[in-house]
Amino acid sequence: MGSVGLTLPWEHKLSPAERNGERRVEPFQEKVEIVGVSEEAPQDAGVAAACLSGNLQGYERLYRWQGTRMKNLARNLLGSQADAEDAVQETFLKIQRSISGFRGQSSFVTWTFRILVNTCHDLRRSRVRRKEQVNEDVDALAPRMELRAPGAHPSLRMALERALERLTAHQRDVFLLYEVEGFRHAEIAGMLEISETASKNTLFQAKKNLRAMLEPPRSFATGGPQ
Amino acid sequence: MNINCDDRERILLEGSAEEWAALELHANACAVCAGELRAWRQLSAAAGELRDYEESPALWARIENSLRQQQAAPAPRMSSWLSFDFWRHIPHIWQTALVGALIVALAISSGYLYTHRPVSSGNLGNTLLKTAALAEVERTERDYMSAIDKLAAEAGPQMNTDTPLMANYREKLLVLDSAISDLRTQAEENPSNAHLRYQLLAMYQEKQQTLQDVLETKR
Repeated sequence: MGSVGLTLPWEHKLSPAERNGERRVEPFQEKVEIVGVSEEAPQDAGVAAACLSGNLQGYERLYRWQGTRMKNLARNLLGSQADAEDAVQETFLKIQRSISGFRGQSSFVTWTFRILVNTCHDLRRSRVRRKEQVNEDVDALAPRMELRAPGAHPSLRMALERALERLTAHQRDVFLLYEVEGFRHAEIAGMLEISETASKNTLFQAKKNLRAMLEPPRSFATGGPQ
Repeated sequence: MNINCDDRERILLEGSAEEWAALELHANACAVCAGELRAWRQLSAAAGELRDYEESPALWARIENSLRQQQAAPAPRMSSWLSFDFWRHIPHIWQTALVGALIVALAISSGYLYTHRPVSSGNLGNTLLKTAALAEVERTERDYMSAIDKLAAEAGPQMNTDTPLMANYREKLLVLDSAISDLRTQAEENPSNAHLRYQLLAMYQEKQQTLQDVLETKR
């Protein structure tokens, strides 16, 4: 499997700050705070209780706390801003419908993101079914990324998005949850209903595949998603 | 801690902080591991490019509106007795006892229904004829009986001859008439049972064949 458009070596793609690790990458590196990760514990129970009471302010607190993170994950899973907003809205409706079933066995955020990930998968499947019904060419369940505001490294981001499309859905979920949204393996395990070890293995495989796809062919480019 | 290139993948997968530190040290002297480690980190850093936490100004209003609508129009729910909430408040031991009692009640009622099930006479099957079809069968049967009676009348003189062969035929016809009579009685009690009708037809055909044999003997 070849490169998907990265023309410059890795070293020239990233700023020194990024190379030095702005956020958690390995255990000895400090985890970067993402959307209020640090204040999760006390807030989690409070928001869960507020939602459980049926008060819409509880849902608003959840949205203010995790809404943009939810939308970002949905956008990366679905490839479009409009689909992402639909997925977040549907997730909130599902939370309202099933909040009485929340028993606190995982954190409220983990439970919320589990619903979000499942909702995104459902939306993606229904989108594929719609395409099949109108006889459009459907080659995969992978999202088709739409353009968005350029970041610091737009070409790198586009290459990464294209490479992510070629991962398995499971590898994509784990990579996005861990590397982009900053969840821990224990949390991802709860969201995807897998073991922590499976989460680690899947992330390892995803990164190995992404590396093979993104790096110039001189080394470590031996295959596609496994 | 001694680390070599063979340990690299394992540490990348699930190495401890000490192992990562040791890998870093090893990478200072190993170009391959240094390259792998750098690429691994850069991939994580590149993932940050996919982080876009921009607000969607209208999204919360939209969500809030749909939440209000859903709240105002509650979905049809089971009665509280049937809902899972009801069961959650009952201790496990009582839940087990209730389920056990339900199973026993089901087993007893199934046994009762099985032993008291209606048994069709002679265990002749349960294929039922619909009313219109039944009328047609009865009409055809009457015609068929009438035709066989004519055949019997024709064979009558021959049947009365005093030979062992005719004695056998007479005896056979007596048995057949007796069987036909029994089946007709059952069919009158259970007119929709197609299986009885097929048996009756078979008896008539046998009688017809016997009468034809008698007439053949005459020729």
